[in-house]
Amino acid sequence: MDQDLRRVIFETFSEVFETMFFTFLEPLEEAPGKEDLGQGRFVEAAISYSGGCNGRFLFYFPWELGKNITVNFLGVDEDGVQEGQVKDTAAETANMAIGGLLGKLDPGGNASLAIPQARVLAGFSPETLLGESGLCMFNTEFGILWVVGAHA
Amino acid sequence: MAFNILVADDSETMRAVIKKTVSMSGVPVGEFHEACNGKEALAILAETWIDVILSDINMPEMGGMELLKKVSEDEDLRKIPLIFITTEASDARKEEAQRFGVAGYVKKPFQPETIKAILYEVLEKAYAHRLEEKPGEEAAEESDF
Repeated sequence: MDQDLRRVIFETFSEVFETMFFTFLEPLEEAPGKEDLGQGRFVEAAISYSGGCNGRFLFYFPWELGKNITVNFLGVDEDGVQEGQVKDTAAETANMAIGGLLGKLDPGGNASLAIPQARVLAGFSPETLLGESGLCMFNTEFGILWVVGAHA
Repeated sequence: MAFNILVADDSETMRAVIKKTVSMSGVPVGEFHEACNGKEALAILAETWIDVILSDINMPEMGGMELLKKVSEDEDLRKIPLIFITTEASDARKEEAQRFGVAGYVKKPFQPETIKAILYEVLEKAYAHRLEEKPGEEAAEESDF
């Protein structure tokens, strides 16, 4: 993934996270050490698009991050957040982030977004993502957001 | 004076956020109705009095653009303003929506102020007389005091 695309991704995703969740993203150039990878419960959100251009992005939210953006998004109490709401928020985040990205990469609007899907992954290790060519990492207050994307 | 609002979005979370945003905007809301897609929205429109539709575009089964087309083809429904709240903000998509008479377009992610501004603008255009009514005016007219 080239640097221009990474920059656009960062700008677009930051707009979504800051506007909707009051959460700031900081791009990470290098993967953290093994002990800081944050293995455990994650929410995976997947979205693809096809038409004028094709692509697929996978988002991996550490549970704490997923829960906190849901709290900020819905304005609900942390203890009252349900798993379905976290999954739904993750899917909607992927939709907004990639919808925004597509608006910049495909201004003619030829490509169509698919419906995003989300699922909970128990005992997931982001170590499995290291080495992916389309890997982007963003540090947040509640752990690292991992994104693996492909755009053509 | 209050407006019945239909929110169509496949994300339950987004529907909740939109409802909350509208409730906090000061727009007088009678009832909220919710649909997961265009098909459900049409079923609600067939049976319920709706004043304004807030719809996503990217939904399963029937998307927002098809919903807009169906609404624009129906003699009764076409009077109901439809506002898109969507990630799909390309010029091509906006032009297509305008051709079918969309009343407003809000890009996700959105600021609550944007929804409020567009909603008021659309409601003023479609229902100026109802917005001019002051709260309690109907009750006062009917009251003996």
